[in-house]
Amino acid sequence: MAGFLARRLAQALVTIFGVATLIFFLQRLTGDPTYLLVPETATPADIDAMRRSLGFDRPLVVQYASFLADLLRFDLGRSVIQNAPVTTIIASRVPYTLALAAGALLVACGIGIPVGIAMALWRDSVFAKALSGLVLAAQSLPTFWSGILLILVFAVTLGWLPPSATGGISHLVLPSVALGLLSMATFARITRTALLDELSRDYVRTARARGVLPGRLLGRHLARNAAIPVITVAALEISNLLAGAVIVETVFAWPGLGQVTVQSILARDFLVVQGVVLLGAFVTVALNLAADILYSVVDPRIRLTGARA
Amino acid sequence: MIRFPRQSEAIMTRIQHLLAGAAIALTVGLAASPSMAGRDRFVVDLVNEPSSLDPQVQWNPDSYYVYRNIFDNLVTRDDKGALAPEIATAWKQVSDTEMEFTIRDDVTFHDGKKLTPEDVVFSVKRITDPKFGSPQLGQFNKITDAVATGPNTVKLVTDGAYPALLAQLVKLSIVPKHVVEAVGKDAFNAKPVGSGPYVFADWSRGVAVTLKRNDKYWGKKAPFPEVAFRAVPDASTRVANLQAGSSDLGVSLDSDLAAQIKSSPKAKPLSVLTERVAYLRLNPSKPPFDKGDIRRAVAMAIDKEALVQGILGGYDKAVPEMLTPAHFGWVEGVEAPAFDPKKAKQIVEAAGPAGQQEIELSTAPVFDQRIVQAVQQMLADVGLNVKINMSDMASYLKRAQSGPESTPALSYGRWSCACQDADGVLFPLMHNSSGWSAYRNTTTDKLLEAARATLNQDNRMAAYKQVHEIIAKEVPLIPLYQSAIIYGAAKPLVWQPTPNESMFLNRMDWKE
Repeated sequence: MAGFLARRLAQALVTIFGVATLIFFLQRLTGDPTYLLVPETATPADIDAMRRSLGFDRPLVVQYASFLADLLRFDLGRSVIQNAPVTTIIASRVPYTLALAAGALLVACGIGIPVGIAMALWRDSVFAKALSGLVLAAQSLPTFWSGILLILVFAVTLGWLPPSATGGISHLVLPSVALGLLSMATFARITRTALLDELSRDYVRTARARGVLPGRLLGRHLARNAAIPVITVAALEISNLLAGAVIVETVFAWPGLGQVTVQSILARDFLVVQGVVLLGAFVTVALNLAADILYSVVDPRIRLTGARA
Repeated sequence: MIRFPRQSEAIMTRIQHLLAGAAIALTVGLAASPSMAGRDRFVVDLVNEPSSLDPQVQWNPDSYYVYRNIFDNLVTRDDKGALAPEIATAWKQVSDTEMEFTIRDDVTFHDGKKLTPEDVVFSVKRITDPKFGSPQLGQFNKITDAVATGPNTVKLVTDGAYPALLAQLVKLSIVPKHVVEAVGKDAFNAKPVGSGPYVFADWSRGVAVTLKRNDKYWGKKAPFPEVAFRAVPDASTRVANLQAGSSDLGVSLDSDLAAQIKSSPKAKPLSVLTERVAYLRLNPSKPPFDKGDIRRAVAMAIDKEALVQGILGGYDKAVPEMLTPAHFGWVEGVEAPAFDPKKAKQIVEAAGPAGQQEIELSTAPVFDQRIVQAVQQMLADVGLNVKINMSDMASYLKRAQSGPESTPALSYGRWSCACQDADGVLFPLMHNSSGWSAYRNTTTDKLLEAARATLNQDNRMAAYKQVHEIIAKEVPLIPLYQSAIIYGAAKPLVWQPTPNESMFLNRMDWKE
């Protein structure tokens, strides 16, 4: 276990360093943010002065070195566009992103897993086919459209829920549904496949022959064996939910990381984008590690020795 | 009923603990705040949150919509657009380069300290200090000195005669010297102290800026005790918020959304023609625009009325010159080339192969692409070969200011100097010293310099009239239309939006 962790930690550091380097240079390729900051009437001399005061006139290598040096001190810098430290900007957004991801995951698992189980247990029935049609529909709806539709129906027409912004749990419902519906389809399909896989195994036939009741069979035997792929997908989906909430956050004016990322990319707010990307890399690495550890909890046959890490 | 075996139960317990933790985090993270909108808590939906609440730092609508309510400016414009007193009650030109302002003596900052001429001097010196690095420096760097000349007078000295001085000072917010010096730039931005009709209350990053009414304000008090400015990036969502009654004012709507609001029982559109001019800029050093005839053919090929009525829903207004009636320098009766596609086609055909050359039409995502595509189509109709090149805003701006060599042959843009003076429009777009200009004409250069260097309004008008006529004849620019800005507002709101895109809450009213 210790060897496994050490190895994974080293890998994580290399990954994060690579991501940091990549995002630093990729962004610098896209041009100079100074032009976006000055009014149209600024003269070339004004623009030069502004560029100097922002430090964008320094050679790229110098900027990169100072970025890495700051990073080692966990200093993500100060956004010149939003006039605040990057850590403050990101930290203020993280709770909202987590809340939305949690809400969406609740919707996705809460609907997706039962639907997947039903689709597997009653496969080939009209019911299962209808369900799979619904799942397909949910997955195919683009969130910018389903989002605005949800707002129009539940907020504007029916007036049950607030149309956007934050303020309480009720504000979280619509964006969670809009975002969760996408992942719901993934959960339903994976659960169905995993369960069908298990259903065809010998032990299931044996258990049935022994007269194990279907409920007990599902709970005691199938659920745990089918859980492994579902956990893998859950880990991937969480990082998707954290990253993929960009559109939902924009539609619902939800002040999460996705929204600030889009704004920062458009404004060439390099430091904020770097910060968000680094955070994303960190979360992805951490979640994958967590999933690996969770496997061993669910399935004791999996040992974390580091041999194949 | 599904039974979980022991180990799964342990996992379930752990998951339950996790969920409970998440629920607590949620409640903490989403500390409930009232979502009702209306007179008691007026809710404004901006596109993005302000970049800065320090009025001398960032300069974009989402920022100044907010901070212009916290701060007073040296002078202002009334709802009709005329220059009007604010912190300065009167001003007189002492010499060509000196103007003396009388400062109100009944103004206090939100912390109770009196606003003095020293604060005005400090505000001017702060924003004009190159080391301070204000993006607005270019708007004020003609001011070389500021002196408190008496208990309630301040003298501003400019580098030569500067006719647009008052027009620029509309944007000069007065900041309190004692606060800024005590807390520094960053803390002041996080917790600004002004003298305006609203007091800063709270900035919850990404969520909202909340202001409270300044009940001791020296001027007209605002109708709303509390105002929240929220960031709502999606225009459809801003409209939905208005329709659902969860906001009272939403910015930046287009004519389609305005039509949608018209049918709502709760909201209405409000619009005004701004000082922003949409234009096409031609680079006369790039073929085929090195030929004056082809440039004139482009001008004749564009049906401005079709753009305004057909695409923009009739809110905007076609203009014949590169200004709007809201500007000093607007001349009635300038004649631009009339819409005449037949003649344009003849010119292009007569030009032979030169007329077939590919023309790059540069644009950026912030602009209305329907207009850009319509322009492409109109030019194609007369036989020109136009290719749209869309790049992101930063790259677009960089190329647009790169001089005749690399400025695109044709570019679409919208211009506002936020000063309502011809000097802020025609000088940067036309004078050879400006990156924005790809046009080289010593006559216009001299006219623009003369108009900038004299305080005589008649002489200035005469010079700008000539410049308009040269533009109409030589076509380095094709002015298209005066842009409208459309807001969505709750039905009871009474408000006259202004051409300079300000949002003064104390000029609003609420009639249920």
